[in-house]
Amino acid sequence: MKSSLARANDNIQKRHRKAGLFRLLCASVTWLGAALLATLLIQVTLDGIKWLDLQFLTSFPSRFPYKAGVKSALVGTLWLITMIAFISIPIGVATALYLEELSSKGKVGKIIEVNIANLAGVPSIVYGIIGLAIFVRGLGFERSLLSGALTMSLLILPVIIIASREAIKTVPMSIRHAAYALGATKLQTAWAHVLPASFPGILTGVILALSRAIGETAPLIMIGALTYVAFLPEGPMDAFTALPIQIFNWVSRPQQEFHELAAGGIIVLLAVLLTMNATAIFIRQKTEKKLQ
Amino acid sequence: MKSIKSIEESGFQSEHVNVMPSVDDVILDIDNVSISYSGNPAVKHVSFPIAKNKITSIIGPSGCGKSTLLRSINRMNDFIEGVTVDGNLSYAGQNVYSAKIDPVEVRRNIGMVFQKPNPFPKTIYKNISWGPQINGFAGSMDELVEKSLRQAALWDEVQHRLHESALGLSGGQQQRLCIARALAMEPDILLMDEPCSALDPISTSHIEDLLFDLKSRYTIVIVTHNMQQAARISDYTAFLEMGDLIEFGVTNQLFTRPNQKRTEEYVTGRFG
Repeated sequence: MKSSLARANDNIQKRHRKAGLFRLLCASVTWLGAALLATLLIQVTLDGIKWLDLQFLTSFPSRFPYKAGVKSALVGTLWLITMIAFISIPIGVATALYLEELSSKGKVGKIIEVNIANLAGVPSIVYGIIGLAIFVRGLGFERSLLSGALTMSLLILPVIIIASREAIKTVPMSIRHAAYALGATKLQTAWAHVLPASFPGILTGVILALSRAIGETAPLIMIGALTYVAFLPEGPMDAFTALPIQIFNWVSRPQQEFHELAAGGIIVLLAVLLTMNATAIFIRQKTEKKLQ
Repeated sequence: MKSIKSIEESGFQSEHVNVMPSVDDVILDIDNVSISYSGNPAVKHVSFPIAKNKITSIIGPSGCGKSTLLRSINRMNDFIEGVTVDGNLSYAGQNVYSAKIDPVEVRRNIGMVFQKPNPFPKTIYKNISWGPQINGFAGSMDELVEKSLRQAALWDEVQHRLHESALGLSGGQQQRLCIARALAMEPDILLMDEPCSALDPISTSHIEDLLFDLKSRYTIVIVTHNMQQAARISDYTAFLEMGDLIEFGVTNQLFTRPNQKRTEEYVTGRFG
């Protein structure tokens, strides 16, 4: 007759087997995701790499594939992302700071919080419709960079606010108390201590949000960003195109060469994105080191 | 009634008072103060005076309301939701809870050192200079930083690394930095909430020595769960239990000839 402890041992082996299976399942799903991404990247690179040269970066779009390039789209994207950053970061961070640090927490705060969380889940095309109604028609900004940047800022503001609030929440209460005990006001405390201490977290959220904005197409199509632009924007009120729109345009053409051009455009878009991310990681690590 | 200095405590070459503070000596009067958290009373009808240039300690078992009482003095309780304070905390002739008083102004004059060292994640220099800077200090900041660090007995250890991060200091050094930071504001009163509870015995004795030196210039109110510490350093002691003030008196008397049985039981270690 087996003792109850021996039976427990049987059980342990069973549990170990189960744990092993589960681990395998998780690992295979993880690798599946990575493999899909790798396939995608390889496919795109193989298709697009032969079109990727200086001529591609410095030419305007054309109906002849060998003459076509992403110049206006790339410059448009850079304009757009810079303007989005200038609009959305100050508003987003200030909102988060107000909600977390300065406002008295009550019912109104809760309502705003729920609303912002909901806004983060609204489809981007809906923001496009809002942008069309308010900025393009209502305020008369036409199909300009300004309209595009404002619309995109609306789209990513909830993400920036939520990420910044989370970052601000991680700043230890003891630091705030230390500042208050020295006769600091809430604003002085938030500005001098809470904001710098939460900076790395805020930066992460901002970069995620900007990366989303750089890849969005739907709202831009909605507000009428042009698909064929043979000039460079010179100010915020100029018409523009952007990389995702150019890619979308090329993909929708029947010729094989344009499909390959689209792949080239994707590589450029990814390069811009990775550069942004790398810069953010570099700045974050530098500031984190300074804090330690 | 004048405070008469007397008795030399064995081990310490310091002078302790043995009479209650006179009216002239009182810098802060705690008068019938009750504090509750969302209706649950934490401190009930407590009254005792804080004497100028003396060390007053508040002792009592955990949860007796001693930290709550201390934090009400410079209105740090304002940051906890649902706290209500009744009664009169009279400082410089005014109730610090009167509607006319700006709590920020109170905290400029009544400094605080916390249980755990909480330096800002900035340089040692900036830890000291920030408080005076935001409050419009116009003199020489370098001199003020040096003076404050000297007062906190930290200058010799950090003078060559003023512009390094304060987080690189040891726990005891960090706590002395926090004391220096509070002293840089030249407060009338310095509140200390179990300042040695997170420190080792050597750092603790450093800070106790420091408090002796500071007494001539500052008024200190210290909350401690360490009765030996209260007996060693303070001139007056208040003993709280379950939110009630059981006894307030001259430290020597309270520890050797307490009036209340509960005090005697607590100071002789029979409970708590």
